[in-house]
Amino acid sequence: MTEQHHTLTERMRILAQGTKYDSCNQSAVCHAFGPDGRCIQLYKTLLTNSCAGECAYCPNRNKRDTVRASLTPEEIVKITWSFYRKNAIEGLFLSSGIIGDAENTAEKQLEVAKLLRSQGFTGYIHTRMMPGTPKYLLEEIAEHSNKFGVNAETTSSVNYSEICPNFDYNNDILTRLKWTRDLIKKQRRKVGYGGRIVGANDTQFVVGAVNEPDREIISTVHKFMDRYALRRPYFMSFDPVPDTPLQNGIASPKWRENRLYQASFLMKDYGIKASDFDVIFNDDGFLADADPKMRLAYAHPDYFPMDINKAARDELLMVPGIGPISANRIIQARPITSEQELARMGVVISRARPFIEINGSKQTNLHSFMGVGS
Amino acid sequence: MIIAFKTDVDGVLLACSALKEHPDAELVFAKDRRELERKLTFSGTEDEVVRLGFTPIAGTKNLIREVLGKCPAKMSRTDTSPVQYIDLVLRHSKANPAELIHLIVSCNGSAEHLYTGKSKLARRYYNYMRDVTRAWQRMCMFARPDFVNGIQTVDIDSPHDVADIFCRWLAKKNPDVPVAVIFGNAAWVGNGELVGLDHFTKTAAAFVKSLRTSLSSKNKEADEVEGLWDVFYNSQMIESRRNRRLASKMQPKSSAGMSKMAKADRYKVERGISNCTLEMFVGDAREVSV
Repeated sequence: MTEQHHTLTERMRILAQGTKYDSCNQSAVCHAFGPDGRCIQLYKTLLTNSCAGECAYCPNRNKRDTVRASLTPEEIVKITWSFYRKNAIEGLFLSSGIIGDAENTAEKQLEVAKLLRSQGFTGYIHTRMMPGTPKYLLEEIAEHSNKFGVNAETTSSVNYSEICPNFDYNNDILTRLKWTRDLIKKQRRKVGYGGRIVGANDTQFVVGAVNEPDREIISTVHKFMDRYALRRPYFMSFDPVPDTPLQNGIASPKWRENRLYQASFLMKDYGIKASDFDVIFNDDGFLADADPKMRLAYAHPDYFPMDINKAARDELLMVPGIGPISANRIIQARPITSEQELARMGVVISRARPFIEINGSKQTNLHSFMGVGS
Repeated sequence: MIIAFKTDVDGVLLACSALKEHPDAELVFAKDRRELERKLTFSGTEDEVVRLGFTPIAGTKNLIREVLGKCPAKMSRTDTSPVQYIDLVLRHSKANPAELIHLIVSCNGSAEHLYTGKSKLARRYYNYMRDVTRAWQRMCMFARPDFVNGIQTVDIDSPHDVADIFCRWLAKKNPDVPVAVIFGNAAWVGNGELVGLDHFTKTAAAFVKSLRTSLSSKNKEADEVEGLWDVFYNSQMIESRRNRRLASKMQPKSSAGMSKMAKADRYKVERGISNCTLEMFVGDAREVSV
């Protein structure tokens, strides 16, 4: 895995490309949007794409024939400052291939964060840690980074050993998730309200690399939210990479990633539990390509139509077209007398109409004509 | 009776309080005493005039509680406090401060009504608040200052009065350098103590422009950063996920003029990123000739 000579611009391009699937978490100001609509708020880069790991899905896996490049900590710091002063970014997202081992890699990442902070950098630093990073280095990174975490990639140790044979799921991932949770808690107490941002625990799943069904992913996310204070999971659709053990695998459809994101938001913001999704999975435990909230509503016809002036907040949140903000507004503005009022409050009437009742009036449906349920 | 008030948060709150006591009073507003006296002279009124907000007062908190009751729980992450709501609405180019006072008084002590959008007027002013918030947030997103001679300067243009909030934001983001936001003939300077001024001050645009010398070095540095940015921006593209509609909405055409870099990004949002380079043609030509 020798590196050929590349100019700074070439190396920057190669290493930034290596992070293009990592999403921003929208906790700060976005500064640009790519042609796919995703925001750009951080300068995202790898320290190096030379990697000792043999992850079965990864284009940077060890011994794969690909262009290798690295940036020095000083170069990353210089580029970060240039973009930051130009107001093109809010900070840095730093990941890396594994340089020898996790400890060595974390030391290099720490060097970048320390160098930036020593130069008075007050921007956001998100460090993506390697599986197996020692605790003492995580503690030091917590002092300099706003956000730090490790990717779980999949749902169980059996699946993990299939795609990441160099690491142990329980020790290198779950234990680290527990440590990051505790460190975030400690940092938040230390920094206090109004100090620098300390981001919540986060992790990423590669969707479709192994055959884990959506039921398993959703239940893992729920478990992580509960145990490791996971705020937001990220999903990356598996795409087979030539010259890797999974090169003949089937690419995961993009809509699956979207439906999983929707399901995770329902758990994060709507108080829906993993077990609530059971009614909408197919026999193999997969979600259909349809809005999970709409599917949940159709699965519970006995809940609807719901009286908008009497329903509790939790009940309002079950209605498609009503989100947490509009539910709050409805409760504050009661009594509601018309659909127009609801529309002004941000309710998507076309979605909500079949499920709501305002002052006794509701949408007529086929059941009403047939006298069913009367 | 005429209630004459200054168009700032204190003035609006005092006028609300006065209007509650004298519901039939007429409202006149002005940004300072001189403007008020001009308006009153022009109208030739002989009614009793109560002037409110033209001398500094303490206790905005008590006043807001008196007029709008207890501060409501936030309905969304983007919602502001009632004081910020009033401040932002007053910056809107179409806002009528007298109309705002009638809206606040119609809330009958429940600040929630400012946010729920239950009436058309409440919805319109809520949207004004969001417009102004969006205007300065878009500046935070798409304005690209020049960093010359140790000063970060940027020219902005907006229908709303948001230059000072943008300057405060930029100064907080870069606490180690002076920043200047030029808006028409005026300039707001943040972290001014680093160049012998007050921490946050308003000055003439010409003064700041005089500090921006050696334009040639500026252009060279700016070009280098813009070139690097292009490489980075292009590297983040995932062709299979191109979503022109969403990207156009998030990076709107109206914000593209804020900077050369934002304009270039917007162009790529519209047209995509070409992976066709001159080298490809040269390579083909060689192959053919061989």
